[in-house]
Amino acid sequence: MRDLIIRVISRFMIPFIQVYGAYIVLYGHLSPGGGFAGGTVIASSIILYILAYGLLSEEKRIPEHFTRVVESAGALFYVFVGLLGVLLGTRFLGNSVAGFPLGIPGRLSSGGTIFLLTFAIGMKVASTMITLFSHLIDEEREEG
Amino acid sequence: MSEHVAPLIVVLPLATAYSILLFCPKYWRYAQRASLICTGLLVVLTCILAMQVNVRGSVIYHFGNWSPPWGIEFLIDRISAFFLVMVSAISFVVILFANGLLYKEIKERVLGQYYALFLILLASLLGIASSNDLFNVFVFLEISSVSAAALVAVNGNKLALEASVKYLVLSTLGSGSLLLAIANIYMVTGYLNLTFIAEALPQAYALYPLNVLATLGLFVVGLTVKSALYPMHIWLPDAHGSAPTSSSAVLSALVVKVYIIVFLKLIFRVFTLEFVSQVPLQFVLLLMSALAILLGSLLAIRQTDIKKMLAYSTVAQIGYIFMGVGLLTYNGLLGAVLHILNHAIMKAMLFLSAGLLIKLTGKRDIRSLAGVGRIYPLPMIAFSLGSLAMVGIPPLNGFISKWYLSLGALEAGLPIYVLVILVSSFLNGLYYLPIVISAFFGQSTEPTYKPLPIPIGASIALICLCIATIFFGLFSGIPTQYLDPALENWFQL
Repeated sequence: MRDLIIRVISRFMIPFIQVYGAYIVLYGHLSPGGGFAGGTVIASSIILYILAYGLLSEEKRIPEHFTRVVESAGALFYVFVGLLGVLLGTRFLGNSVAGFPLGIPGRLSSGGTIFLLTFAIGMKVASTMITLFSHLIDEEREEG
Repeated sequence: MSEHVAPLIVVLPLATAYSILLFCPKYWRYAQRASLICTGLLVVLTCILAMQVNVRGSVIYHFGNWSPPWGIEFLIDRISAFFLVMVSAISFVVILFANGLLYKEIKERVLGQYYALFLILLASLLGIASSNDLFNVFVFLEISSVSAAALVAVNGNKLALEASVKYLVLSTLGSGSLLLAIANIYMVTGYLNLTFIAEALPQAYALYPLNVLATLGLFVVGLTVKSALYPMHIWLPDAHGSAPTSSSAVLSALVVKVYIIVFLKLIFRVFTLEFVSQVPLQFVLLLMSALAILLGSLLAIRQTDIKKMLAYSTVAQIGYIFMGVGLLTYNGLLGAVLHILNHAIMKAMLFLSAGLLIKLTGKRDIRSLAGVGRIYPLPMIAFSLGSLAMVGIPPLNGFISKWYLSLGALEAGLPIYVLVILVSSFLNGLYYLPIVISAFFGQSTEPTYKPLPIPIGASIALICLCIATIFFGLFSGIPTQYLDPALENWFQL
């Protein structure tokens, strides 16, 4: 677990993985990918960090109540964006019909609410993956 | 605003569930209140929706204003509206009951999460019944399977974990075959929206008859595994027997039924009666359901654990519902849909009162319940009423559905199934009535002790269900008249 090569390489890799994950989330409405794929990539960087540095004890990891808050907030944010469509006078999850500007196709600022929705999914998936991993570690530690 | 009721019934429980997780995972008393208010609001919303359906016909809602076949569509017809009201009312009663008892049954650490899971399950059930899009039905089905398995395992004891894993594996099998069926139907018709599939299916059948038949087979297998029709029932007794009381009640009363609603939509709206009567589906369904009715009851007689016995009784009752569907007649189907409601009321009442008795006396064995009726009259009266309704004693609601099922069997020219219903009623009597008789008239072996207080929420929940049992027995015309136009449409009377 405390292998020098793994630690050095992952210290080098983790920022790139995170930037790539953020790119997939933020460009979800323009290119293949989106909230789920990007969120998983971001979470995998955190998991790699935990494994490479052997941060198996609970106090050294990202605290569980934090990931849980991010997870629930992501889901609630999605619902909120959906309800915005209703509040603006059209249907649930209404996008351009509710008056959100669509922007120039191909730009990062295009696509109306889809950007916000992929962001919410990214939040939820990344924090869920980390929570799941923490639970698996805790179970292993309890057993042996 | 009234047009947004359809998405709100799914969004409201989801938002409440995540708010509970966000704000008060530790303060479970707030979670209790939040879920009680949420389910109460849902009862009101679904009633409004049912009124709208009654006045203006099916309610259609396009998410984000994208029209089908590309957009997501909610279509709530009479059958769905009926089911939605039933789901929200029963879960309101179960939450009311759980608020008084649940904190004694599971660890305090997970209580807040339990309520959140319950609401997510509720959202998925409401979503399945209202969605008109096969892929969304699939997504909601997956949510319901996973959250239902988690609700079984929440106790954390060995039996519940084993049952939950078994449930998860078998329901994944069902999901797999459903996904294959959905992929197949998308391949041959090019649509996922049920209305469009129904239009494109005759042509697709002419081109690819084998694919369409295989799809029908996969749908039947997937949905019968998930709703535990007889040979595929093996996960049900363990899962429903070892879960906490409120989970067992909602799993037995609602979760297994929702798959039958999907089945009804597929058979009668998509494949249509004409197509289904050409394939040997009727024979298969009737055979499996007759086996379910008889063997489910016989297996229930052998049980000594009261919750396991109730779970096996659910296997038999699912058989009744599938038999009503399989008869392919107007009265049979009416009986099946009524039995969905009646069984939900009866089984929720039986599971809740049995759970309450287990908690109060500390015993799960049916032989040790002698004399309990004199110490704890209310839960035992509820249990007796549920038992009598199960057997089918006339003024209670169980009689009505059995009556329509028998009429349907005669209408289909298959009087042998009337005999099946009769025999099974006797078998029901054989395992329910001894408990009732010994509880009220038997001698308790233990010295008399001061009874523990019954939580007030639990008493109210049981009284509500008792009233519902009698009400739907006396005024069966209310659901019958509500459902009549939908069924007439399906049978083109």
